[in-house]
Amino acid sequence: MKTLPESLPASEGDNLDDANKCMKCGFCMYNCPIYKVDHIESHVARGRNVLIRQANEKTIPTDAEYAERLSYCLLCGRCAAICPAKVPSPDINVAARTDVVNRKGLSLPKRAVYRGILKNRKLMANLLGAAAIVPGVSTKDGKPLRHMADFTSVFTKGLSLPKLSKPFLSSRLPAKTSPPPGVNIKGQVAIFPGCAFEFFFADIGEGIAQVLAKAGYEVVYIKDLTCCGLAVRSAGDLKTAQLMAKHNIKKLAKFDRIITGCATCGSALKDYGKWFASDDPLKKQAQEFSAKVSDFSEFLAKEGVKSQVTEPVIVTYHDPCHMKWHQGISSQPRELLRSIDGVKFVEMEGEDDCCGLGGAFTLAHRDISLAIQDKKMQNIKNTRAQIVVTSCPGCLIQLRDGVRRNNLPVKVMHISELLNNNQVSSDKKSNKS
Amino acid sequence: MLLSAYNIDRQIYTGRLKISIENSILEKLRAIVGEKGALTAPLDLASYAFDGTTSWQSKPDVVVFPTTAEQVSQIMKLAAAHKIPVTPRGAGSNLSGGSVPVSAGIVLCMTRMNKILKIDADSFTVTTEVGVVLNDLNLALTKQKLFFPPDPQSFLAATIGGCVSENAGGPYAVKYGVFKHYLLGLTAVLPNGAIVKLGGNTVKNVTGYDLPQILCGSEGTLAVITQVTLRLLPLSPSHRTVVAVFDKVVTSGQAVHKVLTAGILPAKIEMMDNWVIRRIEETTPLGLPLDAGSMLLFELDGTQSAVDKDVESVIKSCQQAGALNVRAAKDDVEAANFWTARRAGFSAIYGASPNIFAEDVTVPISHIADLIDKVQQIAKKYDLTIVIIGHAGDGNLHPSVLTDKKNAEHYARAEKAVDEIFMAALEYGGAISGEHGIGLEKKRFMKQAMQPEAIDLLRGIKKVFDPDNILNPGKIWEEKS
Repeated sequence: MKTLPESLPASEGDNLDDANKCMKCGFCMYNCPIYKVDHIESHVARGRNVLIRQANEKTIPTDAEYAERLSYCLLCGRCAAICPAKVPSPDINVAARTDVVNRKGLSLPKRAVYRGILKNRKLMANLLGAAAIVPGVSTKDGKPLRHMADFTSVFTKGLSLPKLSKPFLSSRLPAKTSPPPGVNIKGQVAIFPGCAFEFFFADIGEGIAQVLAKAGYEVVYIKDLTCCGLAVRSAGDLKTAQLMAKHNIKKLAKFDRIITGCATCGSALKDYGKWFASDDPLKKQAQEFSAKVSDFSEFLAKEGVKSQVTEPVIVTYHDPCHMKWHQGISSQPRELLRSIDGVKFVEMEGEDDCCGLGGAFTLAHRDISLAIQDKKMQNIKNTRAQIVVTSCPGCLIQLRDGVRRNNLPVKVMHISELLNNNQVSSDKKSNKS
Repeated sequence: MLLSAYNIDRQIYTGRLKISIENSILEKLRAIVGEKGALTAPLDLASYAFDGTTSWQSKPDVVVFPTTAEQVSQIMKLAAAHKIPVTPRGAGSNLSGGSVPVSAGIVLCMTRMNKILKIDADSFTVTTEVGVVLNDLNLALTKQKLFFPPDPQSFLAATIGGCVSENAGGPYAVKYGVFKHYLLGLTAVLPNGAIVKLGGNTVKNVTGYDLPQILCGSEGTLAVITQVTLRLLPLSPSHRTVVAVFDKVVTSGQAVHKVLTAGILPAKIEMMDNWVIRRIEETTPLGLPLDAGSMLLFELDGTQSAVDKDVESVIKSCQQAGALNVRAAKDDVEAANFWTARRAGFSAIYGASPNIFAEDVTVPISHIADLIDKVQQIAKKYDLTIVIIGHAGDGNLHPSVLTDKKNAEHYARAEKAVDEIFMAALEYGGAISGEHGIGLEKKRFMKQAMQPEAIDLLRGIKKVFDPDNILNPGKIWEEKS
């Protein structure tokens, strides 16, 4: 008995007044990964909407206590997906966070990160490049250097962060990657790598471009794109997020198809239209831009690809929230996995349950994040899969952290890695699915 | 004494008598449930000030989350020693004000006692802690081809403890009854802290007064239930859905009567009026006829051959009653869509105006058409939109009056209409609440619904269980002034 719809209801942007639409049925509690762990009503959409409503009516202050309650949310979107009144609770929360930032301003460290580093890709590259000189902080060819996990975990409350990939994607990918000889060119796509595939998983970023090229596309890579802005918007700094969106829209305006391998970036790029008020002249441009964006697997499933693995493997798939709930994409990656020769696909229980990362959430509320991660690990373990595939670098980080903590004999891979394992051809007819 | 201080009106409590719990007691509570088992921050308390209704709000002083009956016992002993009000709570999805802590004090939130303890497929019983969400129980039972019929439409939120305490029911009531018909036994903590086991594990059990049945539907006023044993049925092998469209709501009411008197007992008979049909089509287009006055949904279950025969009989009865259109859903997918639409009906109502009186009257099935007729007259008389949706097969309708508290004149008319709907239900030999309970919302109608001597019996039972009146005080009946 599946009780969940396939994706989120459409929302026309952030609106605090939407909190009034909540009829308090409590169905969100059934779907909220955080509520399922702690059962605290102020940490779930129904309770939070009441608080937001009261703050809006100025019967409670928008102080640090209030901001703290707003932080108990992964913005995963499950509450909105199950809501019978179609209340866009994640957007309401983002609006409330933005309201707090507008009233109180950002903390200095956050301001430095959002308005300084994330906005300025060159500065970020330079800073991270300098950091990469420190032994152990960077990886070569995607293979993490040992020891750093435990060292950095001191700062991340135990979460093992990925190492920096040296060189970064900008030094790996040419401006254009052409299809290999013998493959007919079907067209041109621009890729949006996002911070993760630019700096931390650059090898995967490279692979994404290669798979697309093998599928018959000339892949254009633009160096001076910036962060998609989602983390900044989620933290309530809408103005900076809008500047980032504006920059990316401008840089990619001339392309008809924009592909990203990052579920989080994809959900942001497709939402750019929502980030601007209806009287903003940029809104229309942003909506047009959003319409051109596809996720990697969404795009490839339509193309049909052929690939094989060298040895038979059992594979399961973890649905990233930003993919399933925010973009409505869940069948496409499975189709792709099933089409790979040698892959035996098994579904895990709770396949679309959150991994528990939620960006900064995992650092702010590590105990809850780990409780959510534990459930996921148990479900992965039960499948006896050798590989768990996903489509989101955030999930990759959290799942790899969980696999390491639980000592599971499981490899965590981005979907492009499995597709890039061997041959990929562009011929739809030869696709045996 | 405490209770008379409350103005039991459709008001948000503001000037209530405030019990402030001393820090030493909070410390003791934390010692029982642990640091993470108690909430005292004002913003957390604010989110426990309400239930599923729009009419009532009152903050507790502390919310505690016990994980064992032993902890509940210690909490109750502490509360009894200091005469602190305790309001048990599950998901707080109830629709009567029943779990709103109007006397402040302690909210005893049972949601962390959420383990299914034993599914006994051989004896057709399940024993579970009370914090389990009904849908989670159903998922676990379906895996073993077992069936627990009571289906309040809040099943994605409601906890088993809440359902037992409200004696909840839903569409399946027409054939399968409500929670009380499945409650075999339970463990509960009395207000003095004693842990008692009541009832047993068998369908037949005449051992003195039926105490589990007294707790069932007692709205958390007698004891804190921590564990229940419920009766199960085998899952029916076959299900089919029939959809019938009528020109008027009254005609559909007559059709329900016709179907039942023809000797068919459908598993569900649900009714939606034109307003609901149009709203469903707006949000989830299913191709429902927009000009239909009313629609009935039937579910037939049993063995396949019996179900097929019943489907034919239902179609024939509806035709005889004057249905404009009646047919069986073509497959499971279409059937599921219709039932999803039915569930969406209530949300459509709740989203339609700032305040809703979603009433819960029940009449004997021979009077369904009369009640519908009466509600429509009342709507006309007071110039209101009153939407009709409900479990027509068991006579339980939810006439929902759309109104707005901010418009005092409109709100007053709505209140009058609600009063008249209640009176009409009582005149037809019905009840003022079919499945939502009395709580705060319907207290003022108790005198019309029950003899004074009967209300005195309620008071007497309450006194035996809870002599100090600390458990969910201020609910169900009005205090004598």
